[in-house]
Amino acid sequence: MRLQQYILLRLFYLIPVVLAVIIINFVLIHLAPGDVAVTLAGDDANPEYIAHIRALYGLDRPFLEQLWTYLGRVAQGDLGISFRSREPVLTEIMNRVPATLLLVGASLSFAVLIGTACGALIARRPGGKLDTVVSVLAIALYSVPVFWVGLMLVLLFGVKLRWLPVSGMYDLMGPRDGWGGMLNVARHMVLPVLALSTVWIGQYLLLARTSVIQALSEPYITTARAIGFPERTILLHHALRNAMLPLVTVLGLQMGLVLTGAVLTETVFSWPGLGRMIYEAILTRDTPVIMGAYVVMSFTVALASLITDIAYAAIDPRVEL
Amino acid sequence: MNANFIRLVGAAAWLVTAAAAPALAQTTLIVPHNSEPRTLSPDVAADPAGYEPGSNIYCHLIVVDWGVAVGESFYGDLAKSWEKSADGKTVTFRLQENAKWHDGVPVTSEDVKFTYETILAKQYPYAAYLSNIESMTTPDAHTLIVQLKEVDASFLPSKAQAAAWTGKIYPKHIWAEQDGFDKGPAVNNPVGCGPYKFKEWVRGSHIELVRNDDYFLEPPAIERLIFKFMTDGNVARAEFDAGTYPYLPYTFAPSWGEMPMLQANPDIEVVLQESHYSRDIQLNMRRKPLDELKVRQAISYAVDRESMSKLAFNGLWEPAYHAINDAQTTWKNAAARYPDYDKAKAEQLLDKAGLARGADGFRFKLSITGPSFPDCRNMMEVLVQQLREVGIDARLDNYDYSTWNEKITKGEYDISCYFVRYGPDPDSYREHFASDGARNYTGYSNPELDKIGAEARRTEDMAARKQMYDLMQEMVVADVPYINLMNVRQPALVRKGWSGFAPQPSSFNKSVTWFGFYSVKPPQ
Repeated sequence: MRLQQYILLRLFYLIPVVLAVIIINFVLIHLAPGDVAVTLAGDDANPEYIAHIRALYGLDRPFLEQLWTYLGRVAQGDLGISFRSREPVLTEIMNRVPATLLLVGASLSFAVLIGTACGALIARRPGGKLDTVVSVLAIALYSVPVFWVGLMLVLLFGVKLRWLPVSGMYDLMGPRDGWGGMLNVARHMVLPVLALSTVWIGQYLLLARTSVIQALSEPYITTARAIGFPERTILLHHALRNAMLPLVTVLGLQMGLVLTGAVLTETVFSWPGLGRMIYEAILTRDTPVIMGAYVVMSFTVALASLITDIAYAAIDPRVEL
Repeated sequence: MNANFIRLVGAAAWLVTAAAAPALAQTTLIVPHNSEPRTLSPDVAADPAGYEPGSNIYCHLIVVDWGVAVGESFYGDLAKSWEKSADGKTVTFRLQENAKWHDGVPVTSEDVKFTYETILAKQYPYAAYLSNIESMTTPDAHTLIVQLKEVDASFLPSKAQAAAWTGKIYPKHIWAEQDGFDKGPAVNNPVGCGPYKFKEWVRGSHIELVRNDDYFLEPPAIERLIFKFMTDGNVARAEFDAGTYPYLPYTFAPSWGEMPMLQANPDIEVVLQESHYSRDIQLNMRRKPLDELKVRQAISYAVDRESMSKLAFNGLWEPAYHAINDAQTTWKNAAARYPDYDKAKAEQLLDKAGLARGADGFRFKLSITGPSFPDCRNMMEVLVQQLREVGIDARLDNYDYSTWNEKITKGEYDISCYFVRYGPDPDSYREHFASDGARNYTGYSNPELDKIGAEARRTEDMAARKQMYDLMQEMVVADVPYINLMNVRQPALVRKGWSGFAPQPSSFNKSVTWFGFYSVKPPQ
């Protein structure tokens, strides 16, 4: 019962957060220079047509009225109509979510698994040769810009070796359904997932290393060793479990950005995801799409932090909600 | 890690990498495309990302292609022939008799009339090119008679050019019940009468067209035409190098520094496409001290086009000294020429204008801006340095395209890079230099030029027209509202053996608009 109340309360807190995000975004976007109506009407348009477009999209109304109308619509779950495509923004966003979830989900899982495992492994002998080499490597990976990693992968595997495709989500000549279609997508996923997770692996590795080292110095580990548990059990069962809390925090933060955290990767690899849609919407002044994406982002961030908090309680019995 | 696991990983890796893409069927053409169209209804608003798909799906009455840059004229697409009456006020178009819409319904002159009437009623962009139409009649299914309000020598060429952007013909039987061209099921499921039929549009991925075997001319050589959305120019280039694409349009052009190496590559043809645009600078004559003729003249002495060409384009763009693109030989007045670079003369003129160098060595400040084209950016960086040499404290202000566009239309700039257009009909001079020209951004007003321009538009006699445009070029060079700098030559890459891509001369008078792929032929 307490848990349900807690969740309801937290969901209720979402409203002011999202409201604030919407208002800030709305103001910021409308402060930007450049006339959206002229951009929309195109290069050859006459003033009459531009005025018509301005009226059609409600751009001629006072600022506060535009904001109020927008808030009213969002409250009803309507994110508006894209200026560019004239499709509902929500439809546009939903069209792009699967591709992004696939890419970011795979990369994040890969990064968390590899990063945590390696981090725990080297934490057994901090200061040792393996630890030094891997830590330095991890810092390097963590500091490299993702688009650079992407371009290097493209050059190596796409151009020099020609092993893997470097753009899009599937081969336009290849199959799109069934096993063939899945393989088609899998081949296209390899490089973007590698690029994206490279950066994250470094992060999780360093984090796991630090917190496992800390956990291993706790008295209960000494006790466990004295009892005579095998080192493997101590590391995986006792130390790693207790070291999970900071990992879950970071993972939770990243889950919030799961929908948009891959803008650069998606752009380099022409991946048809949400990040690239936002990038293109910004370039073309598609205000409703930009704002819609921000609303969805603020929701996911808030939801992810809620899920993180609940996960805390599940992992650590000391945490009470 | 045990051996089984390693074997499993190995097998998976093999599956993923070894199931290589099937060899490209030569009749499929994938073209990298740098951004996604708004819709597939091109007449509603100028949408550069939609020009290519739209121009291959839809028909036009008459069109131009890149042949115009070297003096070719417009030609018929849906119109098989046309004739002008003796008084120049009636044009009779005869349409292709066997033209069919992609759903099988025959194309008639009613469709054309309906399209133009809708464009005029809704004031869509193409209305600007139809506004001289008094009335349209359709005596039979394949004849359209257009009655003009006044004689206009530029009517056909201008209309043919703009057709590639926003003047596509729409099927009446599909659009008649819609209010305008931006609503209804056909917006993104287009039915045209062009050489390719629409197949699918996967958002974020690609648009696929398939060959129209019922096309009224011989069907195109390419069976599947795919526009693949690519956001990263480096990756598009890498894929071109890897042989994925036979054609890399100028939007993904390599840097100029790389060009000599590419030109030496026997597998690649570097196409430097001539144009009827120039790269120039517009001088805002409403602002001090640019309102002073001496200052504008000084600037035209201060620009060193030769060194600009070397620094910005590795010497591959030709300097332009005339008030026209040099490829437009028909209308060029060789006598109307901007001066050669002369730094001393520039300084002298500025001194005479009473703008002596101050204690810091500078005479006055100027802001230089331009659209976000890479070529303009490169040129303006050089210009800033050249102006500073003669004591003008110039600084570069870069904006994104829409901000720049707003600033230049409102006249909020000092000097801006720009792209004056000289064809397909020289009436475009009025657009840029007449007092009421739609793209007169400099505040230039010369009643004499206005008068001659209006008269030239009404004149059908070539020799007489030529004299008038010669005069206008002289006026522009004398008054310096703008300074022409470079002939535009956009680079595109084509794999050897392929022909008929729009920038290649093998496509001229055949490609059906400069966005058309109709004339593309794979290697034999």
